Amino acid sequence: MRISSQTAARLRDNAPIATLVVLVLLVGVLSPTFLEANTLMLLAADTATLFIMGAGLTFVIMVGGIDLSVQAVASLSSVVMAVTLPALGFLSVPLALLSGILAGVISGVAQTRLRIPSFIATLAVSGIAAATALMLSGTRSVPIPPGMRETVLAFAAARTFGVPNDILVAVAVLVVSLFVERRTVFGRWSVAVGAGEPAALVAGVPVNAVKIVALAISGGLAALAGVVMGARLSSGSPTLANEFLLPAVAAVCVGGTALTGGVGSVARTLVGALIVSVVRIGMTFIGVDPFAQQIVFGGVLVLAVAATIDRSKIPIVK
Amino acid sequence: MSAVLTLDAVNKSFGAVRALADVSIEIGRNEVVGLVGENGAGKSTLMKIFSGVYQPDSGRILHEGTPIVLRSPLDAARAGIGMVHQEQSLLLNISVAENIYLGREAAFIRMGAINWRAMHAAARRQLEKVNLDIDPARRADSLTFAERQMVELAKALVLEEETEGHIVVFLDEPTSVLEQAEIDILFSRVRALRGRASFVFVSHRIDEILELSDRVYVMKDGAVVAGMPAAEASEAALHRLMVGAGRRTEYYREDRQAACESRVVLAAKDLGCAGHYRHVDFELHAGEVLAIAGVIGSGREGVVRTLAGLLPHTEGRLELNGAAVAFRSPVDAVRAGVGYVPQERRVEGVVLPMSMAANITLPSLRRMSTWGVLGTGGERALAREWVKKLSIRPPNIDLPCGNFSGGNQQKIVLAKWIEAGVRVLILDHPTRGLDVGAKQDVYDLVRTVGEQGVAVLLTADTLEETIGLAHSILVMRDGAITQRFEATPGAKPAQLDLIRYMV
Repeated sequence: MRISSQTAARLRDNAPIATLVVLVLLVGVLSPTFLEANTLMLLAADTATLFIMGAGLTFVIMVGGIDLSVQAVASLSSVVMAVTLPALGFLSVPLALLSGILAGVISGVAQTRLRIPSFIATLAVSGIAAATALMLSGTRSVPIPPGMRETVLAFAAARTFGVPNDILVAVAVLVVSLFVERRTVFGRWSVAVGAGEPAALVAGVPVNAVKIVALAISGGLAALAGVVMGARLSSGSPTLANEFLLPAVAAVCVGGTALTGGVGSVARTLVGALIVSVVRIGMTFIGVDPFAQQIVFGGVLVLAVAATIDRSKIPIVK
Repeated sequence: MSAVLTLDAVNKSFGAVRALADVSIEIGRNEVVGLVGENGAGKSTLMKIFSGVYQPDSGRILHEGTPIVLRSPLDAARAGIGMVHQEQSLLLNISVAENIYLGREAAFIRMGAINWRAMHAAARRQLEKVNLDIDPARRADSLTFAERQMVELAKALVLEEETEGHIVVFLDEPTSVLEQAEIDILFSRVRALRGRASFVFVSHRIDEILELSDRVYVMKDGAVVAGMPAAEASEAALHRLMVGAGRRTEYYREDRQAACESRVVLAAKDLGCAGHYRHVDFELHAGEVLAIAGVIGSGREGVVRTLAGLLPHTEGRLELNGAAVAFRSPVDAVRAGVGYVPQERRVEGVVLPMSMAANITLPSLRRMSTWGVLGTGGERALAREWVKKLSIRPPNIDLPCGNFSGGNQQKIVLAKWIEAGVRVLILDHPTRGLDVGAKQDVYDLVRTVGEQGVAVLLTADTLEETIGLAHSILVMRDGAITQRFEATPGAKPAQLDLIRYMV
């Protein structure tokens, strides 16, 4: 399928929002309870973790890379948090986040120092993170001690004025990410590296550092997603975030961030994550087997990427 | 003499640049035709027309007197046109025989598998044509450059068996990677083979062209300026035709060429980079334009890449304002105040999808931010100022750089570095692909930055530009400096003086 660059740009700009509206109305008509406040709140809460993970991934995809380690890193972080909670209390959360940032930095250093593609570096780190999570947890899910959920993890598990806190965490991530993306030197450098790495390099942009920081942000936010998920479910588990990688990549791409880099935004990823959630919940409402849902995400991902990538950057598709 | 191939009044333009202007050329049966011209004279475009890579905008290609259309290299091969490329095109990880018959394996397939014995035997017959006695099963990367060149020639000669008519083989700068003894062998093979094919020998080395050719064409600025039997041509006469007569001093703003300051900004002391250049010494003063002249492979590209931070030097010292520096990446170079205006403008010069404003400020973001947070509004005001100062058109600071013409893109690149406050500007073919008006804008800007004390290192497209812009000129050949010239206004060297040390 060939799509001209202008058409692609227009699709990127308008299609995601239009799709979201159509999907919400469609599911709403098929099962009217979907449009009730409670269901919508559930939808938002469900989207929160996916969005947090997708927001981090957006930074990596913006610079033209990919992070395949987000689901393993999220699981690892939930285990780190659950295992260290009894001993460390409040410190366990930053420690969990640090484990994700570290995973991202390792991927970034491997990618830039050894000059290997990010998909290989993060695939390898994904294996390392998954195995570490299994070892730390003794291959079981680790329950969060009673009481801790209401104190240490209240920031993610409690409600504020009736709104689940995971939604508020996601909003905070959105605001901070948008600021980083639009108002910081790093945000500008990311666009430059993703859109034209050779020119960015010649202009003195520290390309390697930008790539490492992008992966560190992705790792950190994946870890935050893991903490929020663990807090909701009252346990950390080495398989907590399994089946999240595909929806997360789909959320970024469906939102209109191009896999070829340089074009996109965390705001788009929010729309993409909502689309993925509506599709997921819609399918459940309609009665699609949950195990079959990944088939739909796979198809949606391929179509979204086909519509958004800049083909002039990849003369040969391997 | 009957012509095998004729080019009749062919024109080819790329945007505003006219690469070929009314070019007519005849290649006779069993003839060796020499084609000379400076870089950018149109030789490569001409070859690409003959090999079916480019199609002419107007004009005809005749084969044995019949008009033909060459839409692809395959069409060219069918018409008996073979190419031996300047950058050797053998695949190094497969055998000599596989290279020779690449894409032609069908003839050797028996029951779905390749009959290696038959292919090797056939390859051996091709190698015999060029008198090369090597095992066709050897991998191409185990051959010397000279042997590879011969294999390329043998590969081109496969056309003999595939086409009914006479074949024409184009040799694109075939001697650039060869030693003298190897050149002699190549020439003797071409002489021996001219009974079965015609040759077109493309080079900027006039002595070689005269030695080998029957007839010579001279190209300049996309046009054929002369065609004559080699016996009637002299080296000096061809040089004059190649570079043209008279310089236009006002064109290069020599009236604005002020004497440079005595302060040395950048100094190279016995600078070297293994495999690229060696023993390079120079001093670049504030306000000076120092040009490096040399052909492709002279090492000047390497010097430029080193100063841009893209090719760290391995020998000697590089000094900036008296202190030793080593640029491991462009980050170091930019931080030290060295800006690079690359010849690949659309790849390394501007980030095409980013706006003009964002491109102009890209190297200055650190200065324009506090704790990594960008201020608001400053960037747009700054970009508008540059639009006014350099008359960038269209004056839309939000337009992606890809939507600007080459000349305006180059203004954006220059604005970016001046804004960053560079003390040294590396201009790598700064007027490549620009039309006359845009070129003059660039020359004007070079003078302006010079007046502000910026030191400029230049590698230009033509000798005319080199001499016109420079205060002093280094000539390089084979990785080393061969001569230095002063080029102050009124005391400019002639192009022939430079060429003598270039080839």
